[in-house]
Order: sequence, then C-alpha cells, then structure tokens
Amino acid sequence: MQGSAVGREARGVEIVAEKLTRRFGDHVAVDALDLVVPANTTFGLLGPNGAGKTTFIRLVTGFLLPSAGRVRVAGYSSIDRPRAVRERIGFVMETSRLYPEMRVASFLRFAGGARGLCGAPLAEAIERVSERFGLASVARRPIGNLSKGYQQRVSLAQAFLHDPPLLIVDEPTGGLDPVQQDEVQSLLADLTGTRTVLLCTHDLGEARRLASRVAVLRAGRLVAEGTTGEVLGGADPLELFRADEARP
Amino acid sequence: MTALRALLRKELASLFGSPTAYVTLMLVALVTALIFFDHLRLYNQILFVYASSSMGGFDTDVIPDYVNLWDSVFFPVMETLGLTLIGAVPLLTMRAFSEERARGTDELLISTSLSPGQIVIAKFAIVFLFVLAMMAASFVYPASAIERGGLGAQHLAAVFLGLTLHGIGVASIGLACSAFTSSQLVAAAAGWAVAFVLWDFGWIEPFVSERTANVLDALALHPRYGSFSEGVVSLENIAYFGALALVCMALARLSFDLRRVGSA
Repeated sequence: MQGSAVGREARGVEIVAEKLTRRFGDHVAVDALDLVVPANTTFGLLGPNGAGKTTFIRLVTGFLLPSAGRVRVAGYSSIDRPRAVRERIGFVMETSRLYPEMRVASFLRFAGGARGLCGAPLAEAIERVSERFGLASVARRPIGNLSKGYQQRVSLAQAFLHDPPLLIVDEPTGGLDPVQQDEVQSLLADLTGTRTVLLCTHDLGEARRLASRVAVLRAGRLVAEGTTGEVLGGADPLELFRADEARP
Repeated sequence: MTALRALLRKELASLFGSPTAYVTLMLVALVTALIFFDHLRLYNQILFVYASSSMGGFDTDVIPDYVNLWDSVFFPVMETLGLTLIGAVPLLTMRAFSEERARGTDELLISTSLSPGQIVIAKFAIVFLFVLAMMAASFVYPASAIERGGLGAQHLAAVFLGLTLHGIGVASIGLACSAFTSSQLVAAAAGWAVAFVLWDFGWIEPFVSERTANVLDALALHPRYGSFSEGVVSLENIAYFGALALVCMALARLSFDLRRVGSA
C-alpha cells in the first residue's frame, strides 16, 4: 500500500547526480557525472555500448554503490535511504530478465507482493496493469512462452503495479522486431507527462520519439545534455557517440 | 512482511515445481533404500550363519552382541546417508542465488521493497523446508527398522534430528556457495568441495599439532552428525549446526554488499 501513497505524492520525481563516479578496478564506468533528470519528463539517456548508461541506472536503483559522489531520487539518497528510493522506482529491464517458468498472473502477484501490495489493492493493481498493457488474454501463460513483445509488456506491467512516480526503462526495445518495437514505444509514449521516465537506450529514433530531454554519455562522461531537438537535431548526431581521444 | 511473504511463496513454488528438486529427493530416497536393504540382507545372512552353526537348529543365543540391527544395518546406513546428502543437496541449492544472478533477476528483486536480508532468509527457509521433507521421505525405511529393532522413539527422534540438521548444514554451505557465483555448476562444485572438506578432518590430524587437530575436529560435520546417530542430542551439537547456518546466511548476505561495492 505504501507504493500507492508514494505514487500520489507527486506526478514525477527528480533525479540528481552530483560528481557521481563508479569504478570497476581501473576502469571508470561513470566519471564525475553531474546530471539532473527533471521531474515529470521523459529523459533519454543515450550513448554507445559501454558508455556507462546501465551503471548509472544501477547507481540510481541502489544495486551498485558509487565510488564517489552521490545520487538522489526525490531528495533521498540510494545509500542512506535505499528503501525510500526503491519505493519510488518502477524498473523495466530487458525481457530476458524475467522468470520464464512463471505464469504472467503469478509473476504479477509476486511482483506486487514484493512491493508491499496485498489483498484487494494487489488484485486491483494487477487488473489495472493487465488492462493497460493488454495482458488479460495471456495471464495464465508462462512468460517464457510469450513473444518478446509480450514479455516486454509483462516487464512494463510489473514496474507499474505500485504506480511509481519514477520509471526506469533499460533498453526497452532491444531484441524486438520492428512491430514489437512500435508497440512498446507506443505504450511508453502514453506515459508522457504522467511521471518521470528515465529511458536508457542507444536507439536515436526511440529517443527522438519518446524523450523530451536527452543526455549523451561516452566513456562514463557526459558529452551532451539538453532538449532532444538541441542534442539530436544536428547534422551528424552520431558524432556524439564516436570515440574521439581529442575530445575533452 | 508482505514482501517477504510474496518471495517465500514464489520460492516455494519455484523449488517444489523444479524437476531438479524431485530428482534430488528421489536420488536420496533411492540410495537410502538400496543401502538399507543391502545391509539388511547381509545382516540376515550373518544371523543365519551364526545361528545355524550351533548345529542344533536355529539358536539365537550364539549370536554375538556385536551382530545387531543397529551396528550391522542402521549405523552404516546413516553414515552413507550423511555422505549421500553431501553429494545430493548441492544439486538442490546450486540454482538458488546463481540462477538469479545469471538471469539478472537479482536486480529486479533488489529494485522492489525486498531487502537483501529478506531475500537471503526466504531462499534459506524454503530450502530448509525441502530438506526437512526430503529427510522425512528418506527416513521411512530406516525408521521402520530401528523401531522394530527396539531402539525406541527417542533414539529415532535423535537420529532424525541429526539427519535434518546435517542436511540443513550442507544446504547452508551450498546456498552460501551459490550466492557468490552466477554459474550453477561452480556453485554445486564449490558446495561439494566445502562440505566434503568439512565432513571429517581425521585425515589431516596426523600432520598437525594436537591443538589444531582439536580445533579442526570441533569444526567437522561428521563428529556432530555421528553423535546424533548414536542417539545423543546435545545442545552443543544443535548450536553447531545453527551457527553453521547463520554463518552461511551472513556470507550470502555479504555477497550482495560485495556486488554493490565490487565489480558488476
């Protein structure tokens, strides 16, 4: 029930990263990153593979601890108040990160329960997300037997059960065919303006379609940040993705 | 508590719906039954040989004391069952944490209201429950024999407690190993290795000082387990298995923190 209360507190929450750094041995995955994801926006986090996008997300969710600096969600630090942060987050992962042997309904019951929902509110939440993401017809099917598009719907649905003010979406259309990509992007587009969405992707088209603001990471560093038009509207936006030792 | 209950239900369905768990259960029950009946057959043959040798018919008075149901059947069965558990239980525990890591679903769990401590408690509790069920299933044949052999309910209860605690101890080792790897094979192999090394340090005692040998003996599984097999229930031995489970749970919990600060 706490999740719903959190959902009502604001339509969206802000993410603030200050000098956020994460090292893995000698490798610096996120390098002194200063970034603000404004409340109630769909924010695209772009960059080539290995740019530090997933590491940044893991730092926001508290799955990883920063080597230096800090990150706050709705003013709460993921180090000091990890529970307060997690209650405000819905995390949509790649389709492969689900339980393929579980039936959709069982999985949603588990995911809702794991977020503190039970009884009638849980049943209502499952009905709400099943309707929103068109899962009623597949409720009794094992997740592993669904198409990747439907698996991604399940992933979106579980993140929505507690109606979080912040949705973190990691590569939502990776591995999907063009039709499935369009379906998932349409579902995400419907969320515009309802909450903060942090969209992690390396698909520029997806970012243009969904995000109002974007940031580009390369080698753990912020190389561009602004409205989608400002950042991706240039003649060759791919230039931002290319490694260039001369670039600061 | 709602989140913990949800995870307990999911783990229960996952483990009791897993073919590996039932194969492990059948393996332990089958090995126990085979060994039991084999020893029982040998025992009957020995009895027959002793009793027949009096040449005056079947005379049980000539059977020496050391030929009895306990020493000839039950004790060797319990010894073998102890080792069988070390071989089988890591098959049950290998996927508990490592599968979550390999699939990346541990990240999903951490993003919910579940704390790492709750995840560890749920996974250990459900495996302990399965070990209890496995012990009960494996214990039917030997229990019927020990009861008929006149050893009494108290001895029977002590043996069952020892078996269950030993199973829980081995499961705890397997679960702790599973928490540190994303490979089920590595988890099982590490579980076997640690449990076999911890089973008995008798082989190393000639090479170390008496004091070290005493310390190693205090850490070994076999002396504790053997004590229960003899019908002795001591608080010290129960505390040993409890402490082993707690240490393994703490290690599993530590694995989450190490991942947070270490490499992904």
